[in-house]
Amino acid sequence: MSLLITETNLRSLVDALVKDATLVVGPKLSGSVVLYQPLAAGDDLTLDELPRRSAKELYFPVCEDILTYKRENGKLEVRDIDRSRFPETVLIGAPPCDAGSPSILDAVFSWDYNDEFYLERRRKSTIMGIACTKGDDACFCTAVGLAPDAKGGSDLFLTPLVGGSFRCEPVTEKGQALIDKHAGLFSEGAAGEAVAFADQSTGKLDLPKIKEWLNGHFEDPLWESIADICVGCGACAFICPACHCFDINDEGNPDSGTRRKHWDACGFSKFTNHASGHNPRDIQNKRYRNRIMHKFKYYDDKFGKTLCTGCGRCIRACPVGIDIAEILDTINKKAEQG
Amino acid sequence: MNAKAEKIRVASIDPSYYQAVTDAIRTEAVKLLSEEAVVAVVGYLPGRRTGTAVPGLVTTPEQAQQLIFSPACVNNLSLYLTKAKKGVLKKGKVAIIAKGCDLRALAGLMGESQVKKEDIYTIGIACAGVFGADSNRSGGLSEASIARKCRECTVHQPEGTDLLVGTLPELPQLTPLEAEELARLEALSPEERWAFWKEQFAKCIRCLACRQVCPFCYCEQCLCDKNRPQALESSPRPAGNTAWHIVRAMHLAGRCGGCAECERVCPMDIPLNLLNRRMAMELKELYDYEASTVPQEKGPLTRYQEDDDQSFIK
Repeated sequence: MSLLITETNLRSLVDALVKDATLVVGPKLSGSVVLYQPLAAGDDLTLDELPRRSAKELYFPVCEDILTYKRENGKLEVRDIDRSRFPETVLIGAPPCDAGSPSILDAVFSWDYNDEFYLERRRKSTIMGIACTKGDDACFCTAVGLAPDAKGGSDLFLTPLVGGSFRCEPVTEKGQALIDKHAGLFSEGAAGEAVAFADQSTGKLDLPKIKEWLNGHFEDPLWESIADICVGCGACAFICPACHCFDINDEGNPDSGTRRKHWDACGFSKFTNHASGHNPRDIQNKRYRNRIMHKFKYYDDKFGKTLCTGCGRCIRACPVGIDIAEILDTINKKAEQG
Repeated sequence: MNAKAEKIRVASIDPSYYQAVTDAIRTEAVKLLSEEAVVAVVGYLPGRRTGTAVPGLVTTPEQAQQLIFSPACVNNLSLYLTKAKKGVLKKGKVAIIAKGCDLRALAGLMGESQVKKEDIYTIGIACAGVFGADSNRSGGLSEASIARKCRECTVHQPEGTDLLVGTLPELPQLTPLEAEELARLEALSPEERWAFWKEQFAKCIRCLACRQVCPFCYCEQCLCDKNRPQALESSPRPAGNTAWHIVRAMHLAGRCGGCAECERVCPMDIPLNLLNRRMAMELKELYDYEASTVPQEKGPLTRYQEDDDQSFIK
């Protein structure tokens, strides 16, 4: 059943959730940049543009403490982080390319090791996705199997209607529970014309075919030609909703300190540097190849999913304009030619 | 649109200007590659999206026909020359397309013995300016879309290149927004200024795009990467972020050519060029030194003279 919620009531819903001690996170303008941030009130929410960074940081923060240590009277005491204090969270206003990423990442964070920092936050979260009406020429979600109105990953889903209200559809039980709890803010009958969905700049990609090509082309001149301009920063990986590599560092001194987990990127030259000094990905081409392989082959091999939601952030942010949609299109064409 | 904006729109967007520069670059690049005078031309190729261009390492006369110049040619290509980054010079002599600000970086790299003058052939561009990081690129260059650094450019018409292409019409004076922002910060109390920078550095996510696009960040071991023991916290937290950006600003003092690429590529919009410019002001005041398009053998901070000012030693 679909329901209707006005924009005023959507903002009131944020207020009600905040009052309930729920952490509400949504797109919010901070200085010149829109980011997913905790909302203090419904009026903080901005739905005008795609946040600069993805929503993955709700579950996988830029940096988090994972333990602390202290030496007292010659004895070293190690303390875990109390994860039970992670708050119940509602993510609001995430388009399909962001709302859909946690359901891709769940697989890797609960595979050979259960990353309880990620998983505890996921258990305590509800995602309110929203249909995307703000795409630009870097967007390619439809090319990787999503769509501006894809509901995957959302617990409930909003569709902007002409006139400013939203159609609201529950997708999971969690989503239905949130609606039931705040039933007064919703009304029945959601007729009305939807705001036009975002246009896509690229055609559809044949992902199985691309993967098949990747299977046989670990060594290929293509890698050199696309990566010879890559400068090896981490911008693409850091703002990506699906990249999830991290580093762990002990920071402090021998008597007290903190072990921290923070984002890392396969584009960095030191990413695969071994303690011996050997680096299996010694040149940028091999590092860039890993980016494509991980997203469109390895992750699929292991978990049956593509590690890309087509948000286009890496295309917008790349200092030297490397365009992953264009590269995929090139591979797609090569694959078709056999 | 005011009169000034109209003037620059007309002055620099006239498509025949960019077409003429593009044609001149192509002709020269084809000639250099055909005659095997160079092994590659580092230039700009069109991007897929409207109003974008990407760096290209062109090695054949056929590819050279694709080279372009437009306000979307924002990158400082000199970074591709150093060993630490791309080391394209390993293959032989290369030609490089350079705007005035890029040329200052090239001159700096020559002064620091990272690039030899005889190893490169510089194709300088008479450049009206390029697009700002978040500006609308669907139209031409205008007062609204021009990069902040270009509003105060003093090297539109660079000197000392092997070849200079393009003839610029008279360019209008634009409000120096960056100088105004510097003056605003300068007028703040140290506490207020510290609060401003604390907020800026707190945004940093340590993607290191600033370091990776900087022609002068060619250290083989960056202190950011040092972890046995750590030189500074490598996690993206205020303490380490602040240390990183301040150390970088210090390391660039007397070297930075003002291309402002670090600021352009920052995904978090940290105004890094303000730090670089502040350092440049310091160098001007103390040593009457300015980054120039002509190589200088030793920068003021890498040279010792008996009569150096020592009043700071207390």
